Amino acid sequence: MTQEKSPRELELQRLQEDLEFLEGYIKEFSEFLPLPICTANPLNIILGINQSFRDFTGYNEIEIGGREINELFLEKKEAMALVKEISQKDARVVKEMTLLTKDKKKIPVSVCGLSRRDEDGNFIGYFLALSDISESKRFQEELEDRVKEKTKELEKRTKDLQTSRTALMNILEDVDEARRRAEEEKNKTLSVITNFTDGLLIFDEKNNLSSINPQAEVFFEVKAQNLIGKQVSELITFPAFKSLIELVGLKIQEIFRKEMRLKENLILEVTTLPIIRKKEKIGKLAILHDVTREKMVERMKTEFVSLAAHQLRTPLSAIKWTLRMLLDGDLGEITDEQKDFIEKTYSSNERMISLINDLLNVTRIEEGRYLYKTVLADIETIIELAINFYKEEIEKRKLKVEFKKPKERLPQIMVDIEKIKLAFQNIFDNAVRYNRAGGRVTVSLNYDKKRIEVMVKDTGVGIPKEQQERVFSKFFRAANVMRMETEGTGLGLFIAKNVIEAHGGKIWFESEENKGSTFYFTLPVQ
Amino acid sequence: MAKKILIVEDEEILIDLLQRKLTNEGYEILVARDGDEGLKIMQEINPDLVLLDIVMPKMGGFEVMEEMAKDSELKKIPIIVISNSGQPVEIDRAQELGAKDWLIKAEFDPQEVLDKVAKQIGK
Repeated sequence: MTQEKSPRELELQRLQEDLEFLEGYIKEFSEFLPLPICTANPLNIILGINQSFRDFTGYNEIEIGGREINELFLEKKEAMALVKEISQKDARVVKEMTLLTKDKKKIPVSVCGLSRRDEDGNFIGYFLALSDISESKRFQEELEDRVKEKTKELEKRTKDLQTSRTALMNILEDVDEARRRAEEEKNKTLSVITNFTDGLLIFDEKNNLSSINPQAEVFFEVKAQNLIGKQVSELITFPAFKSLIELVGLKIQEIFRKEMRLKENLILEVTTLPIIRKKEKIGKLAILHDVTREKMVERMKTEFVSLAAHQLRTPLSAIKWTLRMLLDGDLGEITDEQKDFIEKTYSSNERMISLINDLLNVTRIEEGRYLYKTVLADIETIIELAINFYKEEIEKRKLKVEFKKPKERLPQIMVDIEKIKLAFQNIFDNAVRYNRAGGRVTVSLNYDKKRIEVMVKDTGVGIPKEQQERVFSKFFRAANVMRMETEGTGLGLFIAKNVIEAHGGKIWFESEENKGSTFYFTLPVQ
Repeated sequence: MAKKILIVEDEEILIDLLQRKLTNEGYEILVARDGDEGLKIMQEINPDLVLLDIVMPKMGGFEVMEEMAKDSELKKIPIIVISNSGQPVEIDRAQELGAKDWLIKAEFDPQEVLDKVAKQIGK
């Protein structure tokens, strides 16, 4: 006989079955959860754990079940405070603590607790869920370490910076001092440049005008601000600069005391120099020196001498002609004594005329209009004629004169015949005049395709060594010849040198006192 | 008939000396003290030769030569310049204007003037 169950019994059985199912479900669910969870009663005794909890802590149910919750944590007091808070609250309580595992590892964890209550709201225990925060903790610590490190570094850097700053300040002070000194120097230099009586133009290494002083502004009648920074090639468009740039060229070549007429009444002497710093050319300086006054004085002097010489010539000519006519008997008979006196007067007059001629030659040299007409001529013939001119004088002094000509015929050369004759005569005249009685004069010609060399050698008094460097100066007469003959202008060799150099030749000499002198000059063959 | 020489010169002593020297040689001498006067005499008495100074009052020697060169009659008269100066540039210009010779006073004797004159027009 089948024992019939009452509906009540059936209901109970069904509820029990439901409950068992639910328990199984929860168990399975909690086993499956990846979060370590445990449950505890109000006395903090651990009741149950899930699989994750076992994996995480290393404890199984037997080992941990029945033990007090705070055994799980390093911070016992905090653990007690946490569970107390959980019991009092209905909400989740979270706290960071350190988990002690079975094998004594300490793992930072975030503990999340939630109280369990019965239907009447009585506290019946709680859940604790643990989550491993060691990663984030480590990360945070690392972060903190790095922050610390950075901070330290920053501090160090700050310190370094402070040190550097102090050093920098010191340097700056030094630099300041140096700059102040440089500034002072610059101001000094500037005021020198500004107040300089010569005009100054300074160009940089690219030939841009970098500075122009007030004097130069006056010379060129320009304003500095319109010109600074301009290239030489731009400056040429200013009419005032035309003649300067024509003189120095676009590259500003170096010149020394070249004359330039800027205006009718303004003549400048221009010198350009490189500005060199540490062996490097960093620019160019043009110095403009006003020589208008000097030139004027020079011209007046030249004009005066020229005028005086011309004016002197007329009475000297009259005297010459009168004496000549007297001597020739054109003005009646004269006695021998009278004739003797007149002859001496005549020769004095001749010397005066030749002095005037010399002075005129010198003024023409200085006026720069000396060589007049160059023609192809035979130097041999010129010299022969000049020597012939001295025939009487040579016989009177009993000199032996030898003219050594080369065997081959010399080429004709371009010369101003009168001037070359004069130059040779001035040299030859000294060889005759300052020779000893019965002495020797040798004239020789040499030729080497490029030039003809003329040599005049004498056995005369020679030139004192200490006076030799002045031989070609204007009005120079050596001390020993002044004792011999009071006449002589001291212009002969000055004129000779100018004539030879105007022809593109050279003149020089060798001399020994009391033995003789040898003069040489060359003339180029074209 | 004696050859007529006109001396155009402002220096009295030189006139005297030249006049004396040339008269002794049988020439007939006319004298002008400046270029202006010289030209007038030339036009009146067509001389055989002119001795001409360069630097003179009123009209200088170069101007005289320029005037002479313009005149078909006067330009036939030979000129010998007698000057204080002897710069090549001046000598060349005188030659261009028809001067036959150039004498620098300080470098010539009266005898040489005589020789030059004789060379141009004979004795």
